[in-house]
Amino acid sequence: MRSEDDTHDANDLDYIDDDFVDNESDDEDGYYDFLDNDESDDRQQQNYIILSEADIQHHQEEDINRVSTILSLPRAAACSLLRHYNWIVSRVTDEWFADEENTRRVVGLLEKKPIEMPNSPELTCGICFEDYPRDRMNSTACGHPFCSVCWRAYIGTSIRDGPGWALSLRCPDPSCGVAVGQDMVNLLATDEDKEKYSRYLLRSYVEDNKKIKWCPGRGCDYAVEFVLGSGSYDVCCNCSYGFCWNCTEEAHRPVDCSTVAKWMLKNSSESANMNWISANSKPCPKCERPIEKDHGCMHMTCTPPCKFEFCWLCLGAWSDHGESTGGFYACNRYEAAKQEGTYDESENRREMAKKSLERYTHYYERWATNESSRQKALVDLHSMQTEKLEKLSDIQSLPALQLKFTTEAWLQIVECRRVLKWTYAYGFYLPEHERAKRQFFEYLQGEAESGLELLHQCAEKELQVYLDEESPSKHFDDFLTKLANLTSVTRNYFENLVRALETGLKDVEAIDQQATCSRASSSKTMDGKGRGSGPSDSMDDTNHWLCDLCTYANLKSSNICQMCQQRRS
Amino acid sequence: MTSTSSPSRKALSKIACNRLQKELVEWQVSPPAGFKHKVTDNLQRWVVEVVGAPGTLYASETYQLQVDFPEHYPMEAPQVIFLHPAPLHPHIYSNGHICLDILYDSWSPAMTVSSVCISILSMLSSSTVKQRPADNDRYVKNCRNGRSPKETRWWFHDDKV
Repeated sequence: MRSEDDTHDANDLDYIDDDFVDNESDDEDGYYDFLDNDESDDRQQQNYIILSEADIQHHQEEDINRVSTILSLPRAAACSLLRHYNWIVSRVTDEWFADEENTRRVVGLLEKKPIEMPNSPELTCGICFEDYPRDRMNSTACGHPFCSVCWRAYIGTSIRDGPGWALSLRCPDPSCGVAVGQDMVNLLATDEDKEKYSRYLLRSYVEDNKKIKWCPGRGCDYAVEFVLGSGSYDVCCNCSYGFCWNCTEEAHRPVDCSTVAKWMLKNSSESANMNWISANSKPCPKCERPIEKDHGCMHMTCTPPCKFEFCWLCLGAWSDHGESTGGFYACNRYEAAKQEGTYDESENRREMAKKSLERYTHYYERWATNESSRQKALVDLHSMQTEKLEKLSDIQSLPALQLKFTTEAWLQIVECRRVLKWTYAYGFYLPEHERAKRQFFEYLQGEAESGLELLHQCAEKELQVYLDEESPSKHFDDFLTKLANLTSVTRNYFENLVRALETGLKDVEAIDQQATCSRASSSKTMDGKGRGSGPSDSMDDTNHWLCDLCTYANLKSSNICQMCQQRRS
Repeated sequence: MTSTSSPSRKALSKIACNRLQKELVEWQVSPPAGFKHKVTDNLQRWVVEVVGAPGTLYASETYQLQVDFPEHYPMEAPQVIFLHPAPLHPHIYSNGHICLDILYDSWSPAMTVSSVCISILSMLSSSTVKQRPADNDRYVKNCRNGRSPKETRWWFHDDKV
C-alpha cells in the first residue's frame, strides 16, 4: 500500500502553487480530475463505527455473555468483572486465569460463604439493628444479613452518589467487600433506581471503554467506536456532527489537538481580558482600581469615593503638574523618560500587551467569522436539500439526481469554511520568526479564501438566476459544469492545503533557513540604524518569547509570563 | 458514601432516630474503652470525651469529639471533629478536622459511633510524632467560612498512622 506521504510529498506544493482557479482553463479537465480522484476516497475510508443505544446494549450483552460462558460465572459477576477491567474481555480472562483468587478478591466475588449465620428464626439487620424473620433478610454471597428497607436505602444512596459508587458497590459490612451486582439491585431497589442502575451500566460501557466515546453533538445519543492507530481522528456522526475522536472538540483538521486545546483555552480564559485591561487601562495610583481611558486629555479623576486626580502619562498626582513639567497639558515627564529609553517597565508591558491583543483579535475575528459563515452555509445547504432542489428540478425539467452537484457544492462550502476557520488558529500559533513559512502560509490561506469565495458566489448568487427563471435555460448545463468544476478544484485545493499544513509546511523549512541566512548577512547594510531600538523593535523575537497561554511577549530574561504567570515552555 | 448535606440542619429521620437510640443504649451497656459520652438531651449532636491510651504519645491526655448526625444517618456519614484544642497529630488539623477515610468516602451504614471512635483512638495511638499535617495552614484558611469537613475532597495520605 502506498503511504500517504508518498502520494503527496513531492507534488504537493507544486499542486498548491498552481494557479488556484484559472477561469481561462476552466474546461473539462477539472471535471475529470474530480471523477478520477480516488486519492481522497482512499483517505476517507471509515476507521470508526457509529453505535446506537441498541448497538451498545447488544455489544455489552455479548461481552457479558462471553465472560460468563468462559469463566462459568453468573451474569452479574461477569458484569462486575468486566466493569472493573474497563470492559476489555481479554483483560478479564487474562487476570482471571493468571490469579483467580486475587481477581476474585479485588472485584469482590466470593467462592463460598465465609460466615455462618446463627440458626435462630430471627436475624439482626446490620444497619438498623432491628430483628427480622430470616425470610425478610437479604445478603450477597457473603451472607451478612440486612433488612430489605436498609438494602433499598443503601442501594438508593449509592445511585444518588453516582455511577462510580453504584457500579462498584460492596456489601455494607465494613470488613467484607463482596460486590453488590445488578442481580441484587434488581431484587431490592426501587423501580426508579433499577432503571438508573441499568443506565449507569450502559454509560459505563462507553465511558470506561477506551475505544468508544459519546458523540458530543447536542442531544445526540450515538457513540463512536474508533479503530485506534488508523490515521485521521476526524469522525462524522450519524447526527451529522463532525468531531475529532481524540479530543472530542469539533473536527479541526489541519490543526492538531493540542493547538486546538490551547486556542479554545485562550478564547475562553480570562487571559485575553487581562491583556485588554492591561493595554487599555491603568490602575489608579491611589486606590488601584483599573481605569479605562478611551480618549480625552491626560487629566484623570478617579471615580468616587477615591476622586484622586492624576496624570495618565506619568501616573503622578495632577497637583505636581505645572510649568515644571512642561505645562499642565504636556507631561514631559513621560516624554523625557521615553526619550531616555528608561520609561516605566509597566508602560512597556502595556505596549506589548496591546500589540499581542491586536494580533489575537485579528485571528480570533477571522476564526469566528468563518464559523458563522459555516453556520449560514449549513442553513443554505438545508434549504437546498429541502426546497430549492425540487424547485430547480421543476423549472429546468431535469431529474433531481442530475442536480446533485448543487448539494455537493454546498457540502464542500461547509467543509471549506471549517478548514479555513481552523487555519486562523494555525496562523496564530505559527512562530513569528519563521518568516518564509508565514509568508507561504498566508499566501496559501489567501488563495484558499478567494477560491472559496468564487465557489460560494457561484452556488449562491449565480444559481439564484436559474431559480428565478420560468422555463428551462439553455445555459443551465454550462452552469452545472462550472459549479462541478469549481467544487472539484476547491476540494482538491483544500485537501492539499490541509495536508501541507498538517505536515507543518516542511517543504518551506529549507527555503526558510536560506532566507534567514541571507537576511542576517544583509541586515547590516539594510538596517544601518544600529542600536535604534524603538518600541517596535522591542517585539523582535531575539529579545522576547511569546507566552503559550496568553501570547504576551516577555523579555528573554524572565522565565515566568508577566501577564498570566504561566511558566515559559 | 459521600454526601455534601450539612449535618444538624435537618432534623433526624425516623430511621435515624431509631438507630441512634439503639446505639445509645448499646453505648450505655458497653461503652468503648477510653471513651465517655457526655449526656445531653440532643440526640443529633453527641460530645464524646476521649482519653489517650496508656503507653502512647497521648497517654492520659483528654480531648473532645463532636459527632453531628445528618438527616439520613446511617446512610450518610456523621460529621466528626475534635473540639478545641485538637490533638497534635499528622492527620488532625488545628480546626479539629480529621483526615480519616471511614468518615467520608469509606463510610458504611454498618459502622457505628462506637466503631468510629475506636478507629480514631487507634489512629491516635499509632502516631509516632506529635505534629500537624503539612498543609495545615492552607487547609484551615480554606475552611474559615465554616465549611464542613464533609465538603472537603479528602486525599487520604496513608494508612500507617
